[in-house]
Amino acid sequence: MSKIKKLRSTSKMREIMLGYYMQGKQSEFVSWVTSGAPVEFLYTMDIYPVYPENHGALIGASKIGPHFSQIAENEGFSQDLCSYARCDIGSIIAGTSPVGGLPKPDFLFCCNNICNTVVKWYEVLSRMFKVPLFILDIPFIRKEVKESYIDYVESQLYDFIDFLEKLTGNDFSDTKFREVVSLSTQGVKAYENVLLMGRHKPSPLTCFDAFLNMAPIVCLRGTEVPVDFYMEMYQELEERVKNEISAVDNEESRLLWDNIPVWYELKWLSEFFIDHNTCLVADTYTNAWTGFLNLGKSDPIRNMAETYTFIYLNIGLELMVDAINRLIDTYNIDGVVIHSNRSCKPYSFGQYEIQKMLEVPSVIIEADMTDSRVFSRAQVQTRLEAFLEMLREK
Amino acid sequence: MKKVGYFCTLTPKEIIKAAGFTPVRILSSDDSISLANAHIQSYCCSQVRGSLERLLKGELDVEAAVFTRSCDSLMRLADIWERNSNMPVYNIEFPTRIDDKSKRYFIKELFDFKTKLEEWSGKEITFEDLETSIKLYSQLEKLLDNIFNIKPDYELILKTEVEDPEIVIPEANRKLKEYRNLRSNGKKVLVTGSVCPFIDIYRLIEEAGFFIVDDLCSGTRFFKSEVKERELKNMNDAIEFLADKYFLKAPCPTKDYENDRRIKYILKRAEEVDAVIFLLLKFCEPHFFDYPQLKKELESMGKKTLLLEIEFPLASREQLRTRLEAFYEMVMVE
Repeated sequence: MSKIKKLRSTSKMREIMLGYYMQGKQSEFVSWVTSGAPVEFLYTMDIYPVYPENHGALIGASKIGPHFSQIAENEGFSQDLCSYARCDIGSIIAGTSPVGGLPKPDFLFCCNNICNTVVKWYEVLSRMFKVPLFILDIPFIRKEVKESYIDYVESQLYDFIDFLEKLTGNDFSDTKFREVVSLSTQGVKAYENVLLMGRHKPSPLTCFDAFLNMAPIVCLRGTEVPVDFYMEMYQELEERVKNEISAVDNEESRLLWDNIPVWYELKWLSEFFIDHNTCLVADTYTNAWTGFLNLGKSDPIRNMAETYTFIYLNIGLELMVDAINRLIDTYNIDGVVIHSNRSCKPYSFGQYEIQKMLEVPSVIIEADMTDSRVFSRAQVQTRLEAFLEMLREK
Repeated sequence: MKKVGYFCTLTPKEIIKAAGFTPVRILSSDDSISLANAHIQSYCCSQVRGSLERLLKGELDVEAAVFTRSCDSLMRLADIWERNSNMPVYNIEFPTRIDDKSKRYFIKELFDFKTKLEEWSGKEITFEDLETSIKLYSQLEKLLDNIFNIKPDYELILKTEVEDPEIVIPEANRKLKEYRNLRSNGKKVLVTGSVCPFIDIYRLIEEAGFFIVDDLCSGTRFFKSEVKERELKNMNDAIEFLADKYFLKAPCPTKDYENDRRIKYILKRAEEVDAVIFLLLKFCEPHFFDYPQLKKELESMGKKTLLLEIEFPLASREQLRTRLEAFYEMVMVE
């Protein structure tokens, strides 16, 4: 019997995502898209967005990452490449996956505000499927945003609208776009409210609940689904608080998780922390989808250009540390668990410096988000135990 | 003359030089990496880790560092560098998309870079300064191109990467004369891939019997551009020329070109060779993503390929020698 207190919302979420994956099989136009791209443009044009990254996470959580990675590796893709990319490429070659493979794309939409890996990955996809690739190129903000960056991004967004109109033969409706952006903002707000429930002491949810339930805000942002879903999830969490049900019994320490989850070890890690009366109340990953949309500006395209330029993985280390320290204050955090993720260079390089700049102690664990072949439970357990011991003595 | 360090071949050295600095490329040394391990993970490429190691060891004689947007590892190195040195650090956000729209943006980035250099030097860069610098580099690069068309000279490239062009030009002229009557012998091999400043590796390839045709970051990609020389009238002209020049450089896998220009470029260059060696730095994502499909295309052209995955410091030379000799045998059988 697992000690994990499962949320009802998680079952609901599975239904939603099943529906989402089914829908892909009936859509007229399908685009594969990166997780940090402005999907609002696709929903405005009734284009179904497929998220290979989400699919990679699903493969990881189903513990078959090594299987699909190996298929890609046999084709010559290096084991040092991003494991989401390897899993997805492996799944295309095999023609299978936990959801029966992904629907073929009519085009690809890649935004490099999360990494430059996706540019190369999508070039590979574009050659495999022989379909057009649109790259939304976002300059990196090491210190400050420059007006010229936003001008450049904005001009590409107008190009993208032309690209979509030509490809579908349909007009881009400004009215519809404003509706979609409004829904997107509402969804993000509802999601943020869910995550903020982690401020309660003890917390009614862990970051593992946040990870398990993040797919709707990524994949369905801009539709009504996440708005309703996260409002319902919020109510469930409020109920928990009212009934004094905490995610972790006898919550002693409150920690923050950094980086993408270790998908194949979610259960093991959840239980490990429960056993140590420790609650991971927040994380930098799911928070990347909060607080980034602000309505009210008269020009929604310019607004989108600004919004999608200034996202968590597209900023320099000092700005990242500011964001993490804000989370530490907001959630009353005692320590940080830093996942050094072999697969994600822009998320992981710099962590050793970030560690020195944080307001609270932290520990680094070496892993990979989907490739369990590089993970050692024993090693991670020892590191975490020593860290928790140190926190307790403080 | 003060020195400004840079990493990527897409860094506009002409502007650095015009500001009165010597542009010096920062490359890994062949020593083992230890100090850098406390600052960046071991799954980062050794060009990045090795360069950081040299900084931490105090081996670098540069006053500032310029990072040009290319890969994720260098992008993060900029901040790590800044935190572990006293030198000013600047990042040029070279676009990833290479097309007309991004060129307009890139021109602004180049002007911003010029302003930053003026701030560092405390004096204005005039049109004449920049024009002189552009001409000097054009002259040197033309020589290098002629030399590489006969035979790659990696020692000369190493020198070019760290010295002022006026110092290298006389030597390049001498070399060109020296090579003029040289004929290629042995099987021609296209060596394509990342950066490698350790020339033993090229000797090993040649000693195995190959004649090298180069497509490396520390070779042809360092100097070659398809841009046509033109008369420049003012600063705007000069900056736009540089934008064109860097957009038309021999394609790099960190950039996205229209119509898959890089792949086509390599396939075209491969037509004249007997085999292809991929000389790739371990953990280099931009290269390793292109590798499988490129390899397949090359093989369908009937080219034999070999992947040499390297890390700095270079591992056993003998092992490399054995693999290269075996590969040469295979190519000879054709």
